[in-house]
Amino acid sequence: MGMSTGGGQGAVPKINVTPLIDVLLVLLIIFMVISPLKPSRFEAKVPAEPKDQQDVNVKPNPLTLVVSISRETRAVTLNNDPAGNVDDPSQLTNRLNEIFKQRENNGVFREGTNQVEKTIFIKSPKSVRYGDVVRVIDAAKSAGAEPIGLQIDDLSE
Amino acid sequence: MGMEIGGASEYNSEINVTPMVDVMLVLLIIFMIVTPLLQQGVSVNLPRDMISPDQDPDIAKDTSVVIAIPDNNNFYIGKEQFPLDALGDKVKKLMENKTPEKRIVYIKSGVDVDYGRVVQAIDTIRKQDIDKIGLVADKKKGGEPSQ
Repeated sequence: MGMSTGGGQGAVPKINVTPLIDVLLVLLIIFMVISPLKPSRFEAKVPAEPKDQQDVNVKPNPLTLVVSISRETRAVTLNNDPAGNVDDPSQLTNRLNEIFKQRENNGVFREGTNQVEKTIFIKSPKSVRYGDVVRVIDAAKSAGAEPIGLQIDDLSE
Repeated sequence: MGMEIGGASEYNSEINVTPMVDVMLVLLIIFMIVTPLLQQGVSVNLPRDMISPDQDPDIAKDTSVVIAIPDNNNFYIGKEQFPLDALGDKVKKLMENKTPEKRIVYIKSGVDVDYGRVVQAIDTIRKQDIDKIGLVADKKKGGEPSQ
């Protein structure tokens, strides 16, 4: 094809393509790895907008677990009991695991179903970094909490 | 190796790599073109290395509604910027023909954004009767949900 007869006996002009192929392969692999990053997400539920009915009698659910985050101390609390902090939320995971296990053994079910009540709510001040909130959600989710509710009314600054 | 002695006086025992290089180059170019196309919307510094988010291929679909919050000042849907008060109408329009179980809005927020900004976006979304939110996060590679 592009090969010209050199005329001579030995000297055949050839480009050494091996390094070229090396570089190409590496580039190819890099692109192949980058492109199929599968997206994933945490599903969270949001309570409906409060209506102007002041006198609705809502029965508080004694099984509700509220996870709160403190801005100053970065502490995480579960129903007002300390459960680690934002930087190491594994304590929260352990606490939740314990609670869910207890509920399973005691047969504490969600109303009208035979599933263990694992609803939790996340409450965080507005000025907390989103990343920290997601870490707490991650910790709760890995303990099996579901559904996760985000409290978005009456948050402190 | 597998080369037969052709009887000629000169042997050429080299693999012809030219077709291989051709194929590689084409593949490379295809990937280079496809990669930016796959990435929709603005780039956001998502929370990384999360243990337990669920994979959801719907996030990347064109029909799903993804609100991106790259920093404290902007909300984007796709590549278009929206002020907070216009966000609700846009979400409503996009959600019009969806079945109830598909009514989920994804939020892609940067880690350094204040939670309050995210809450503002969520507040706007729920005014459109949507109670499911997908918080987009990157899963840790090979991380299995711990029991």
